[in-house]
Amino acid sequence: MLLVTDIIDGEDFSTADPGGIRTDEWSECLALIAQNQDRAAFTRLFRHFAPLMKAFALSGSTLSANHADELVQEVMLKVWQKAGAFNAEKAAASTWIYTIARNCRTDLFRRLQKFDTPLSADDVSDGEESEEAFMVLHQKRSRDRIRALIKELPNDQAQILAKVYMEGKSHTEVAGELELPLGTVKSRVRLALQKLQIQLERT
Amino acid sequence: MTNFHPDLDLITEYAAGSLALAQSACVSLHVSHCRRCQRLAGELRNLGASLFEALTPVPVGEAQLHAVLDRLDEELPLAYVNKKVKANDTPAILQRLMRGDFSDLSWKNIGSTLRISYLKTGDPKHEFALYHIRAGGRIPEHTHRGSEMTLVLEGGFSDANGSYHKGDFLMRRPGDVHAPTALQSEDCICLAVLDAPLKFTDWKFRWMNPFLKLRSA
Repeated sequence: MLLVTDIIDGEDFSTADPGGIRTDEWSECLALIAQNQDRAAFTRLFRHFAPLMKAFALSGSTLSANHADELVQEVMLKVWQKAGAFNAEKAAASTWIYTIARNCRTDLFRRLQKFDTPLSADDVSDGEESEEAFMVLHQKRSRDRIRALIKELPNDQAQILAKVYMEGKSHTEVAGELELPLGTVKSRVRLALQKLQIQLERT
Repeated sequence: MTNFHPDLDLITEYAAGSLALAQSACVSLHVSHCRRCQRLAGELRNLGASLFEALTPVPVGEAQLHAVLDRLDEELPLAYVNKKVKANDTPAILQRLMRGDFSDLSWKNIGSTLRISYLKTGDPKHEFALYHIRAGGRIPEHTHRGSEMTLVLEGGFSDANGSYHKGDFLMRRPGDVHAPTALQSEDCICLAVLDAPLKFTDWKFRWMNPFLKLRSA
């Protein structure tokens, strides 16, 4: 299947990952769910992503195993329901699924802390989306670059990124846990981002 | 295009989902109309996705899969239409937190130039308030006991460090003292997210300090 991104970019979007799986197998699954409510496609997605979601739910492990299972179910149901909103031109399937998992986890944390709020994590993350074509292209390039560079990060930086992203901890919480000064945590995050070439553009 | 942005640390925490609710709503309001920060937040989300894909999978039993499959019928895939409805100019996040528009809110007058309206986000640690400053009006000089995020929603204001317009984002740290003045041309509406009450240093307003409590949740 030729995706529109291929045409825009002139590069091969569906590069093989180390497991030999075409990375856009997941986009195809999402399309099949959206078009035909295809349960076999859903099952394939589940077998690949549910174990990652469970790992994500348990990182930092403030969630019990029951809550982690509940989260996996909730996220997978959302994937099923929202498949029609997935747009392969705008995002990789894994990024899209990760975003759902991240937002559901944030909402679950808030529910467990008995927050009474009219705002969901989805409401608050809407700002990230962009429809503009140049941005779409930019994001695709950044994804490929980050994927390649992330393997070369030194351990201490990779560890901190994992805490911030996978465990959902603030810089202050990470500093407390690792018994490091806040400044050290911030500078390691910044160094890591620099190596991944993620930085503020100068205006 | 805005000129004042959240710093990289804040956008990182925003993208990672670890920022407190009221603060993330404020950052989101900036990001949604700042191309530069949108691009950065998008890259940081890609980073999150890469880390997610690299996690060591934790086995999920077949029973779980079947439990989800059994529920698929109740949860039919939703039909999506391109959502590009722009009924009014009030940002979606704020629409969720208030009924009607800014003029329908209940405002509390502080002196003759400033009105404040507190919105409930449910975040127990942060106050989330709209400040309405009359054109040319000055907010009494005050200092911050904690941090304060400010986002300009309408109009603009200036202080000793610069002048700020729609979409601009500012972060004040404890101890910063300032006396913002709205631009002469129009009224200014800002969102302020605080984690500790303000403290007026202007002697005419100091008597209020003991009464300034954080109105969170």
